[in-house]
Amino acid sequence: MKVAVRNIGPVTVVDLGGKITIGEGDVQLRQTVLDLLEGGNKNILLNLESVSYMDSAGIGELVACYKRAKEKAGVVKLLNPKGKVYDLLSLTKLEEVFDTFNDEKEALVSF
Amino acid sequence: MTCARLTVPSEARWADLVHAAAEKMALTVGFTEDAALDLGLATREAAINACRHGNRFDTAKSVRVDLFRIPEGLRVDVRDYGTGFDPMAAPDPTDAGHRMNTTGRGLLIMRAFVDELHFGYDPHEGMTVTLIKKLSPRVETGEGRVH
Repeated sequence: MKVAVRNIGPVTVVDLGGKITIGEGDVQLRQTVLDLLEGGNKNILLNLESVSYMDSAGIGELVACYKRAKEKAGVVKLLNPKGKVYDLLSLTKLEEVFDTFNDEKEALVSF
Repeated sequence: MTCARLTVPSEARWADLVHAAAEKMALTVGFTEDAALDLGLATREAAINACRHGNRFDTAKSVRVDLFRIPEGLRVDVRDYGTGFDPMAAPDPTDAGHRMNTTGRGLLIMRAFVDELHFGYDPHEGMTVTLIKKLSPRVETGEGRVH
């Protein structure tokens, strides 16, 4: 999985690419969000536009990131879930949990 | 007819290989890319469950994956050597009380992404999860999506 971090004002955008699956993408996602939270970045926007799919471990890690951020008075939101990633968020009803956006500007002002 | 068999150790890192085999075979026999990915993802979840809940990551035990070409499409059998489990006992991860769990979505994904899902347990042969994905004619829907 590819990870790139951008800071835009008070928001940290994490551009993810590839797949978020057990033992690979899920570990990278966990470490990236942990590092951001420990560095004081509390507003995190995960850009899923280039994520092709996730498995149950990847979905579980998204939930873990959400909970971890909340514990530290932070927030994790999602940007541009598409295709199978959108299908999985809908199937698991996590689209009702995460604030999800299709427009980055709109997402940025929501924090 | 068995078209392919994979026997892998009970380690999650082999899930990619199992997923790729099922997805590639689905593409080879004519599934759409979307349907092939569905089968790959469902097979991946079955293999991860077999490693985790069946063999409990005991690397002395293997997970066997058989891929069959059947008239309706493809059948995948995923076998572990554990003591079996009751799939009906698993909580629904979409229930509000379980939605924030970090695990427990594998069965949900399997059920959603294949047409049939069966569970069989034999005390001598272990647990077998059977996934069937049917090959349907490509139909353009009003939403522009190919099924």
